[in-house]
Amino acid sequence: MSDTFDHNGLPEDELLAAEYALGTLDGADRASAEQRIARERAFARLVTAWEERLAPWAAEIPELVPPPHVWDRIASALPAQVPRAGLWQSLAFWRGLSFAAGALAAGCLAALLYFGAFTQTEPLIATIESGGQRHFVATIDLKRGTVAVVPAAFNADATRVPELWLIPPDGRPRPVGLLRADAPVTLALSGELAALAKNNAVLAVSLEPPGGSTTGLPTGPVIGTGKLTNL
Amino acid sequence: MDLDANRNLIAAALSRIPKGDRAALQTVYRLTSAKLFGVCLRILGEHGEAEDVLQEVYVTVWRKAADFDARRASPMTWLIAIARNRSIDRLRVSRTSRNMEAIDVAADIADPAPRADVALESVQEHTKLHGCLDGLASHERAALRGAFFDGNTYEDLATRMKVPLGTMKSWIRRAMFKLKACLDQ
Repeated sequence: MSDTFDHNGLPEDELLAAEYALGTLDGADRASAEQRIARERAFARLVTAWEERLAPWAAEIPELVPPPHVWDRIASALPAQVPRAGLWQSLAFWRGLSFAAGALAAGCLAALLYFGAFTQTEPLIATIESGGQRHFVATIDLKRGTVAVVPAAFNADATRVPELWLIPPDGRPRPVGLLRADAPVTLALSGELAALAKNNAVLAVSLEPPGGSTTGLPTGPVIGTGKLTNL
Repeated sequence: MDLDANRNLIAAALSRIPKGDRAALQTVYRLTSAKLFGVCLRILGEHGEAEDVLQEVYVTVWRKAADFDARRASPMTWLIAIARNRSIDRLRVSRTSRNMEAIDVAADIADPAPRADVALESVQEHTKLHGCLDGLASHERAALRGAFFDGNTYEDLATRMKVPLGTMKSWIRRAMFKLKACLDQ
């Protein structure tokens, strides 16, 4: 686009990149800049460089958590998932991470002391963690049919709630219940779940919409897993 | 959460999206949607429209995540640019900027003090940008603000600041030239 204005030193392409990144272009000028970004790598880099220069300004814009239905609309706008591939992916994920839960001791002991009543039967314990960060410590009391879960270093999320899953050796996650980031929670285990809660079964926590997953399987990111062991 | 860890988490999640990992998109959403919603709302000025555009933003992220190059751009910069551009596209469809109030240069005192922001990894970068913006003439800074925060076109800005279009183009071009020289030092 040629014009009669003084460019004050910025070469033509650089100027167009700056104008696009700033957002002052309109109509045909904006559309043609977009086409050049798609086709010309060098021009796209000029635009990226200007975006980098200006982006720190956005720090002045206050954050605002969007309402939960926005994510639901995004999720339904994505292409449908192939269920089998999804299941295999998550299976690999669960199993892979379940090995990470090897060293438990200190946190488990703390949980055991916290729930000091568990002397009448052998409790099962799992430290739910990922990447070395411990999120929750869970203690299962089979005699009472309960699981008590204490948050360790779990960061609350404004739009999601943590949900606990039990994964027996068949690899299929069973929903146990919703947890809290700020307080211990004791959940009842149904007879079926209690029968599956054995050494080497895995507990996992995923982030779910308020009220929990409605599909019976985790829908949100898995933030940690831990293998159940007898102390 | 420390800032580098946040940046790395976002970049790592973005890198998993091209494989079709929905949980990765959700992680990106969880970590960045409050910032991007703020950006859309600032430009569009209306909640319903900002929500629509925010949805478009993350669908764009899903489709274009393979284009993100962690070696060239920071993930937040890349995401903010998408949010600004989709918001500006929406503005252009309706042909008018939401904020068309007259800009009074005399009222434009120095820019607000730099503020730390957890979503943006570098407070240092923000401080540097502010230093350079403070070096501009107040009418230049006011024009850039109108473009960046209100999505104004050259024409919008000329109207708001009551100057001819050619004058506005010269102001912004000179301002961008000075800004680049200052920032790239």
